[in-house]
Amino acid sequence: MKSGSSLLDAELHKTDPRVKLIAAKLKKENFKPDALIEVLHTAQNVYGHLPLNVLAYISKALSLPPSRVYSTVTFYHFFSLKSKGEHTCLVCTGTACYVKGAQVILNEIESKIGLRPGQVSADNQLGIQVARCIGACGLAPAVVLDDEVQGKVTLGEIINKIIDKMAAK
Amino acid sequence: MNKLTIYIDDKQFQAEPGKSILEVCREHDIEILTMCHLKGVNDVGACRLCLVEIEGMSKLLSACTTKITANMVIHTKTERIKKYQRITTELFFAERNHVCAVCVANGTCELQDLGYKVGMDHIRYPFLFPKCEVDTSHPWYVMDQNRCIMCTRCVRVCNEVEGAHNWDVKNRGYQVRIISDFDTPWGESITCTSCGKCLQACPTGALWPKAIVQGQMKKNPEIIDELMERRKMIL
Ligand code: SF4
Ligand code: SF4
Ligand code: FES
Ligand code: FES
Repeated sequence: MKSGSSLLDAELHKTDPRVKLIAAKLKKENFKPDALIEVLHTAQNVYGHLPLNVLAYISKALSLPPSRVYSTVTFYHFFSLKSKGEHTCLVCTGTACYVKGAQVILNEIESKIGLRPGQVSADNQLGIQVARCIGACGLAPAVVLDDEVQGKVTLGEIINKIIDKMAAK
Repeated sequence: MNKLTIYIDDKQFQAEPGKSILEVCREHDIEILTMCHLKGVNDVGACRLCLVEIEGMSKLLSACTTKITANMVIHTKTERIKKYQRITTELFFAERNHVCAVCVANGTCELQDLGYKVGMDHIRYPFLFPKCEVDTSHPWYVMDQNRCIMCTRCVRVCNEVEGAHNWDVKNRGYQVRIISDFDTPWGESITCTSCGKCLQACPTGALWPKAIVQGQMKKNPEIIDELMERRKMIL
C-alpha cells in the first residue's frame, strides 16, 4: 500500500541523541531480530515510553514486521506506548557526566521539581529518565530535554529550562 | 515408514507417525470441530474446539496440535467433549458482537455453522458487548472487529503464505485485537499487498470485500491449502 509514510521515516531521528543510544544497542545486538525485547527496553528507558516512530525505526532495523513489534510491545505490561510526561528530561549518568555532577543535577531536580528518575509529574507535564552515556562526553554533564542535548549544563540553568518546558506545555 | 496403530472411538486405525490426531480423523471422516485450524498453515491450538480425550490423560488435548503416538486411545464424541464444545462456542458469541442477521457472511459463516452443529439455542454467559472498530480504510476490503473470533487464521495466512505479515495480535486477555502494522489503518499498511488471502481464510464475517452485499459473501478457505500444494509442485 502506501510507501514512504512519515511514520516509517526512520531517517528523521538520526540527530536525536536518544536514537543514537538505540542505534548503539542495535549494533551491539548485531541487528538480530531475537534482540527485539532488549532493544525495546533500551528505547523505553531513554524515552520513558515507546513512540510509534521509534517502533518503526526498530522494526526496520531488525527487519521485523511492524505488527510483530507492536504485538510484542502490547503483550508485556512493562512497555508503554503512551507518553509518561509531555516532556522528557533525560539525565546522563555515564562516567564523564557522573564525574561532572550528574548526581547533583538529579538531586536538584528532586528538590526543586520533586521528581526522581522514572517518575512523572502529577500533571503529566514532565518525566525524568536516566541513561548511561549518551555519547556526548565532551559536553559533560549532559542532559537531553525532549530531543535537544544540553551540554555543560549548570544547575540553575537546567532547572529553569525544565520549568519553562513544563509551563510552556 | 512403519505405521502406528491407534484407536479412535473404539475403532482401530493405522497411521503414519508425525501426523496430528486431527489429520488422521479427517482422513477417516471422523468429525472434529475446528475453528483456528486451517489446512495449509501451521496450527496454533488457539480455539480449543478440537479437544479430544485420550485414555490415561486427565487433560483434554487439542487434536490439531497433538501428534499421534503408538497405541493411543482417542475419544472424540464423549459427553465431556460435547460440553466443552458448547461452552467454547457460546463464548465465541458472547465475546464480540455477532449479529448474524445483518452480517455479510450470513449463511456462509463457519461460526454460525458451528452454533447449529453444537445445538446452541441460547447463550449462558453474559455478553461482553465490547466496543469494536470497523476498519474501512482499505480501498477494497473491510475488517470488522465485531465479528472476529481471534482464530488468527488471517495472521498466519498473511505471514506464512503471502509473506507480508500485515496482521498480528495486540494486547492480552479480553482486550486482544487483530492489528494491521502499528495498529494503524489497514489502508495505510506498508506491508499488505492486497492479495485478499486473509479474506478467504477468515471463518466469519470479520474480513470481507467491499464489493459484496449482505449475506452474499462466498469464502473459499480451502484455496490456501491448494495454493501451498501447487507451490510444492513448482519447487
Ligand atoms: S490482503 Fe493479503 S497481504 Fe493484505 S492483509 Fe490480507 S493476506 Fe495480508
Ligand atoms: S479476522 Fe477472521 S481470520 Fe482473523 S482472527 Fe478474526 S476471525 Fe480469525
Ligand atoms: S557520560 Fe554523559 S555523555 Fe558520555
Ligand atoms: S482447531 Fe484445534 S485448537 Fe482450534
